[in-house]
Amino acid sequence: MKRLLVILPLFFLLSSCIGKEEINDLALVMAVGFDKNEEDEIVITAQIAQPGDVRGDAATAGQTGSPLWTVYAEGKSIFEAIRNIARFSSRRVYWAHNFIIVVNEQVAKEDGIVDVIDFFNRNNQLRMRTWIVITEGEAKEIVATQTGLEVITGESLDKLFRYSRIVAEAPRTDIMTLSAAYMGEHTQPYLAMVSLKNHGIDAEKEFGDVPQVELSGTAILKNDKMVGKLNQRGCRGFYWFVETVESGIIPLTCPEEEGRVSVELRENRFELTPNYKNGLVSFDVSVDSKADLVELGCPTEMEHSEVVDSLAKHVETELKSEIEAMLSTIQGEFKVDSIRLGRTFYGKFPKEWEGLKDDWEDLFPNVPINIDVSVEINDPLLLENPTRPSKD
Amino acid sequence: MGIKEKYEQNFHNSMILNINDIEEILGGSSDIKKREFYLYEASHIKATLFFIDGLVNEEVIDKTIISPLITKSYESILDKTRPALGVYLSERITKHLVSNPSIATVSKFKDGIDGLLSGQSLLLVDFCEEAFLISTPGWDARSVNEPQTEPVIRGPKDGFVEKLSTNTALVRRRIKDPFFRIESLQLGERSKTEIAIGYIEGIVRDGLVDEVKQRLQDIKIDAIIESGYVEELINDAPLSPFVTVQGTERPDKVSAEVYEGRVAIFVDNTPYVLIVPTHFWQFLNASDDYYSHYLIGSFYRILRYIAFVVSLTLPSIYVMLVSFHIEMLPTPLAITIAAGREAIPFPVLIEALAMEIAFELMREAGLRMPKPVGQAVSIVGSLIIGQAAVDAGLVSPIMVIVVATTGIASFAIPNYDASYSLRLLRFPLLIASGTMDLLGFAAIFVIIIIHALSLRSFGEPFMSPILPMYGTDMKDTMVRMPWWSKKNRPTTAKGDTKREGSNQKPAPPKSNSASKDSQKNNNSN
Repeated sequence: MKRLLVILPLFFLLSSCIGKEEINDLALVMAVGFDKNEEDEIVITAQIAQPGDVRGDAATAGQTGSPLWTVYAEGKSIFEAIRNIARFSSRRVYWAHNFIIVVNEQVAKEDGIVDVIDFFNRNNQLRMRTWIVITEGEAKEIVATQTGLEVITGESLDKLFRYSRIVAEAPRTDIMTLSAAYMGEHTQPYLAMVSLKNHGIDAEKEFGDVPQVELSGTAILKNDKMVGKLNQRGCRGFYWFVETVESGIIPLTCPEEEGRVSVELRENRFELTPNYKNGLVSFDVSVDSKADLVELGCPTEMEHSEVVDSLAKHVETELKSEIEAMLSTIQGEFKVDSIRLGRTFYGKFPKEWEGLKDDWEDLFPNVPINIDVSVEINDPLLLENPTRPSKD
Repeated sequence: MGIKEKYEQNFHNSMILNINDIEEILGGSSDIKKREFYLYEASHIKATLFFIDGLVNEEVIDKTIISPLITKSYESILDKTRPALGVYLSERITKHLVSNPSIATVSKFKDGIDGLLSGQSLLLVDFCEEAFLISTPGWDARSVNEPQTEPVIRGPKDGFVEKLSTNTALVRRRIKDPFFRIESLQLGERSKTEIAIGYIEGIVRDGLVDEVKQRLQDIKIDAIIESGYVEELINDAPLSPFVTVQGTERPDKVSAEVYEGRVAIFVDNTPYVLIVPTHFWQFLNASDDYYSHYLIGSFYRILRYIAFVVSLTLPSIYVMLVSFHIEMLPTPLAITIAAGREAIPFPVLIEALAMEIAFELMREAGLRMPKPVGQAVSIVGSLIIGQAAVDAGLVSPIMVIVVATTGIASFAIPNYDASYSLRLLRFPLLIASGTMDLLGFAAIFVIIIIHALSLRSFGEPFMSPILPMYGTDMKDTMVRMPWWSKKNRPTTAKGDTKREGSNQKPAPPKSNSASKDSQKNNNSN
């Protein structure tokens, strides 16, 4: 007992604090970008938070003036580039709090992103819930741009994805879903895309436009290489298959007259049913939607109830054409099963899948998919008539 | 013949010899007073009364001893000769004359002197071969006050005092049960401290009282000043930082525990009464829990459980997270903590240890300082630790919050002894998690838990009723169930375990037909 009392404290006191890295000795990376330079080297851009400035008042000391410190370094591999950041960083570069990984389209198309997936899976510090996106332009620019309301722009990008389900313009892709799709037997990965577009206004600079990061479609990957992108309309059709659509605005024109009508999807039910008959694979897609009329810009004489019926048909055709457009791109052009058809099939017919899985790549482009959309527009209740002047 | 032998011998039949021996044994201490007088109508029979100044009530001595003896007559005293005279006098004095409610005859010097020293009056009479011990206590004692260390909002405000008989009376007033036993013994070869153990026969577990008595009788020590001496000498786990004997100042608490089959140990000259066996979770129960609404009682009890966990682990978890496991913090919190630590020159562990010690220092200084200057401690402490240290960039504001929260949480534990032991355990945990991250924290935490689980208190597992789990006792552990639902006494009680009748849950009277039904049900039950 006495010996234990002597030895036990020594265990701790003589351990010399192995692995100690205090929070103020670390450079917390908030966003990271992957590009390629002319010499075919990886360029890593890291956005590092300067905590003293991020939390203005909370910190009584240690402010340098700018909340973010964005730096880049080149290297032959990701690891080498990261090590090169350490050559000039005064603190240890720490990746665990990274919000988002931005990959340049060029890198994704030519080199593939397998090293990115591997690096972020292998490193034990890293969180699997880090967003990963592809950009058409330079990843460096996305990382360095001051965008959104947050002081840390990485956090702005994080929130952009957190609440992106409302607009359904780009899927929410993190390292976890990417790795699962990449490593999975039945699936192919897809990634959200972002781009820089002038949206912000700086009143001090003669209303010059300020670029902001916006969601701009979906990149389709085959294994780890990008094969093409879906535009925003195709992306809405794609969204049904990969995420839960919470809402979405469908802009339409008035049934008979000039003017705009918007319908907002409220409650949606999406079902994908695989069929297997006589050795033939087919799928049934059914979409059930309840929608609200949110904008009715037609000076129509009709009662709401009449407008609503004809609008529902319009919405149905619109939704159906969105899905069809997406399917024709994915099946016809890219020939990549990003919409998890194989996986759904495997879920219902695991034995049959064994015979099909080797040929799935060839089968997929020609699998027939029947789409059935039904939309019900909610009665606006007390609001019986469209908004119109009653002067005459 | 030395003093020791004289002390052990019987009284002589000569009063003069007796007086000489008593004075020799007591060495002429100045607080021992002697009063000599002659019995009424018998001027040749002399009596001597010994008593100790300050320990007796002189008015009582006058009224119940001296005045009856010198004013009332002794019939036919003169025709008696010794030894018949001695026997007659003894009979006359104890049965007819002395009007004090308590009088005993002793035949040994030892008994007489011990009685004298514990505040009784010793009466010696010519021709008698025995002495009389008459109870005339009258020393100055603190009156019954609200307990300082265990205040309650709702509940009785009386607390134990330094006088043993007052303490047992406070409990007896709450247990008017013929089976409530109080047994006395004396401990301490020189101090001869009165000890009393109280229990209810028929509820207490078989053998528990014998075990308590055995352990008490095994104590061989010169003096017992406070119940802490007894506690440490009968403890099951003398090396453990955990307290396995509960001490309390509250008579209501002692009574409630005795009703649950525990044994109370009263020690003279201290207001702290010991209760055995003790479960760890009792330290988190306050008397208020039982007196206020059961929902409120349960809420605050759960809060205290949280406070217990916080006071034990919060600084260690903070140090561990900030210096090793930064990835476990949510990002905005990590940035806030990093912002606060931006200019701090010390490692987190040093910062935490310094702040913890500063906090303990303030607590200790506030306790030891004379009350009029006590304010200075709190002003200086709050200014230096709360304000200046942060402004100067020596301590991060979050560390102040962590240490303050820990301190407040440890004050929320009702039993002061238990909160002391938790404070002690905090330091190894802190050092381990500051040097060996989660591994160190987990290792020390598991060692503490294994140790706590191995403890027993008078045959009861220390961590029960949670481990080992006793289902019915859970009604009074994490939560306090309403009284009408606690039909039986907890498992500490044996024998008569039924606490209350059936259907104790109050309900409005039912309509006639319904009440008939319920009566039927009762009958069938």
